[in-house]
Amino acid sequence: MAQASAQTQAAPEDVVTIKLPAAGAYLSVLRTATAGLAARLDFTLDEIEDLRIAVDEACAMLLTQAVPGADLECTFALDGDSMRVAVSVLTLDGVEPSRDTFAWTVLSALAGDVDSAAEADNRITITLLKRRSGTAR
Amino acid sequence: MDLSLSTRTEGDRTVVTVGGEIDVYTAPKLREQLIDLVSSGNYHLVVDMENVDFLDSTGLGVLVGGLKRVRAHEGSLRLVCTQERILKIFRITGLTKVFPIHATVDEALAATD
Repeated sequence: MAQASAQTQAAPEDVVTIKLPAAGAYLSVLRTATAGLAARLDFTLDEIEDLRIAVDEACAMLLTQAVPGADLECTFALDGDSMRVAVSVLTLDGVEPSRDTFAWTVLSALAGDVDSAAEADNRITITLLKRRSGTAR
Repeated sequence: MDLSLSTRTEGDRTVVTVGGEIDVYTAPKLREQLIDLVSSGNYHLVVDMENVDFLDSTGLGVLVGGLKRVRAHEGSLRLVCTQERILKIFRITGLTKVFPIHATVDEALAATD
């Protein structure tokens, strides 16, 4: 049963987008959604917890520089054995988050590949990729 | 899930029991609590985190801030935590070397150094 469902999920990449106000009060909602999506990919409990914290850290970083009233956009790409998450928001300064912080340290330790990018309109995006354990790169 | 806080005095120490989720939204509540305690002369704090369900770097920042405040008065800030998922965050950031972390409140209260 479990194997069959994992194979079904592995076929096409599902993309889930969640848009919510760039306010701290909504981070708990996003963490819950993250955990639910990670569970769909049969991530272990530890991996689900890692993702929950990683997504929270990425968003918390962006909230500090978000344009007031802006929306936080989170895209989750579910690819059978990995999850790519991109979180982005319009910022006031267009400056990419410092990597010399507790937040970045936690984020990069818990999610394998992490990066950030700035666009011309001051939108900052943080991307992270988490692979399910026992998955070849 | 919100953050719950309660404090009690044990001898010359103050135990702060924290429950729920410490994130960017709730951390200011904990920060205010620690500042209030230090401002009113409580320099030896034990923060019991056994009922904390979630902790991120915002929460770490608040605890480090509290530690700096009590140390300015030659005080102490001890943590009580046995939850692996919470301890992991302290390890990743190297803060296990900064905070004394105890398995029980009694152990934290008995600790001297």
